[in-house]
Amino acid sequence: MNPEAVGFSALTIVLLLVLFYGGTFFVSTRIGKKNENADGYMTAGNKIGFGISAASMTATWIWASSMYASASSGYTYGISGPIHYGLWGALMILFIYPFGKRIRKVAPKAHTLAEVMYVRHGRSSQLMLAGSNVVGSVISLMSNFIAGGVLISMLSPFNFIQGVFAVAGGVLLYTLWSGFRASVLTDFMQVIAMLGAVAIIVPFIFFAAGFPAAFETGAANLTAQQSNFFSSEAFLNQGAPYIAAVLAYAIGNQTIAQRLFAVREDLIKPTFITATIGYGAMVIGVGMLGVLALYLGFTPTGGDLNNIIPEMAASYLPGILLALFFIMIIGALSSTADSDLSALSSIMMADIYGQNIAGKKKANPKTMLLVGRLTMVAATALAVALASMQMNILDLLVFVGALWGALVFPVLASFYWKKVTNKAFTVSVIAALAVFIPVRFDLIPMTGITAVLIELLAILGIGIVLGLMAFGFFGLRPAMVIGIGASVVAAPFCFGFLRDYTTLSASLVAYSVSTIICYLMSFRSTQNFDFAVIAERAGDFDTGEQPVAAVPAGSRNSTRTAQERE
Amino acid sequence: MLALSLYVLIWPVIVAVVAIVISKAFISEAREAKRRGEDLI
Repeated sequence: MNPEAVGFSALTIVLLLVLFYGGTFFVSTRIGKKNENADGYMTAGNKIGFGISAASMTATWIWASSMYASASSGYTYGISGPIHYGLWGALMILFIYPFGKRIRKVAPKAHTLAEVMYVRHGRSSQLMLAGSNVVGSVISLMSNFIAGGVLISMLSPFNFIQGVFAVAGGVLLYTLWSGFRASVLTDFMQVIAMLGAVAIIVPFIFFAAGFPAAFETGAANLTAQQSNFFSSEAFLNQGAPYIAAVLAYAIGNQTIAQRLFAVREDLIKPTFITATIGYGAMVIGVGMLGVLALYLGFTPTGGDLNNIIPEMAASYLPGILLALFFIMIIGALSSTADSDLSALSSIMMADIYGQNIAGKKKANPKTMLLVGRLTMVAATALAVALASMQMNILDLLVFVGALWGALVFPVLASFYWKKVTNKAFTVSVIAALAVFIPVRFDLIPMTGITAVLIELLAILGIGIVLGLMAFGFFGLRPAMVIGIGASVVAAPFCFGFLRDYTTLSASLVAYSVSTIICYLMSFRSTQNFDFAVIAERAGDFDTGEQPVAAVPAGSRNSTRTAQERE
Repeated sequence: MLALSLYVLIWPVIVAVVAIVISKAFISEAREAKRRGEDLI
């Protein structure tokens, strides 16, 4: 423990944690039911209103790392840095809503995207998507526990491990019994606390640190690129890789899909737009602390950029506002952690137990609830264990992000195009990963014909990303024009250039390879999938009816998949 | 200096507006649920 880093006494930090987690636990007990409904535990009955769903979407998308990373971006890239982090992150929510409307139309009562893929294609597609969701949520859970442990160890006499246990125990306490319903209701409280804190803390630090005068006195601390709002360095290193990830994170993250299936169908658009604005303003606003630190010539301890926000807070905020700041960060990481627990429990309940072990007709709602709650306990224990090992989160996130990028076209096309087959889905995703990995981790030399081919695929990836974004809003023809136009315009600038940006190139290659292979394997397919089947088969598990008794092994019941019917 | 100050301080203002919009919607939904005798969630 570094004595200089202590901001609160042990008693104060315990009181703050008891206040926060005790309060959320109390609220969750108000909605607790003796006989919880399995579908309610996963999606709260598919009819949540605008206020709670917008709050929940915002709270879930804001995690502690997003605030730290936005401030790091501001500190590294200057005045445009927070925009290149927060804006693109916000657009992840916005660009998914047109697809969200289609997904809800096709599968109004589903619980997970993977569950829909099971009905649409079969087991391999489902498990591929569910597997990537599980890995992503466990990493996110671990990351939030780490952020909690670091914050508590920095601001109190407690150590990192004690902090991790406090956060993990607190989140599990209020999420375990009521699952998703508790997650979204407490999200409302947490997001209001977070938004309120940002509205007060950022202006307070701004004036306490001597701004606006410090903009003049500290201008010499910025390079020309850092002073430029249109910094190409900020765009290429921070913004562009994020644009490529816009659709991937929204498709691959079950926490978003879960809220998509939970909100009342007619409220999807206002919910997603409000969450876009709320997330963007909050994350960019907190990121401005990094810009202020840059002007002040502030050096974070040990050169660790994750220390910028806590140290700026500790330097300029009085005790009461420092407590508010602490609640803000704990709220951000807890709201995402409880969403991850709910997402993991839904996947295990619906995809593993409901669809693959018991079968939809035979699934017992009580067993499903037990599976969900045991999953939460096991996931918490696993994330605590991984957090204590302090693994490299960034590398893991990059890998999962690429996996999600490879899934985007096959998943989205499966909701619109009747010809996409299970084989096309599976082969295209595996092939995309097989190309992504050597590019991302520099396993092949980016020279000569190899570099040209990778750049060609990446240029096609630019067109595919922009085309898919346009498709959601404007339909196929404008999407084709925008996609092809973007690739043609980008080509002269990208050949000989993208090879130096392997993170960006690899993400784009994941998109293009999966799209090309999925298209080539599907366009001559004779499959004519009936989308009405999805609504029929990806529905409620807990209907109040008794589960079907034993069915002879090998018999085909109504849970058979599209692939099985082919 | 004024432009930079506005650039930094506009975000907390937007955040406050979003917080008000979400809170008003939540309160209205809670009242509506209570009037109907249903659970909020």
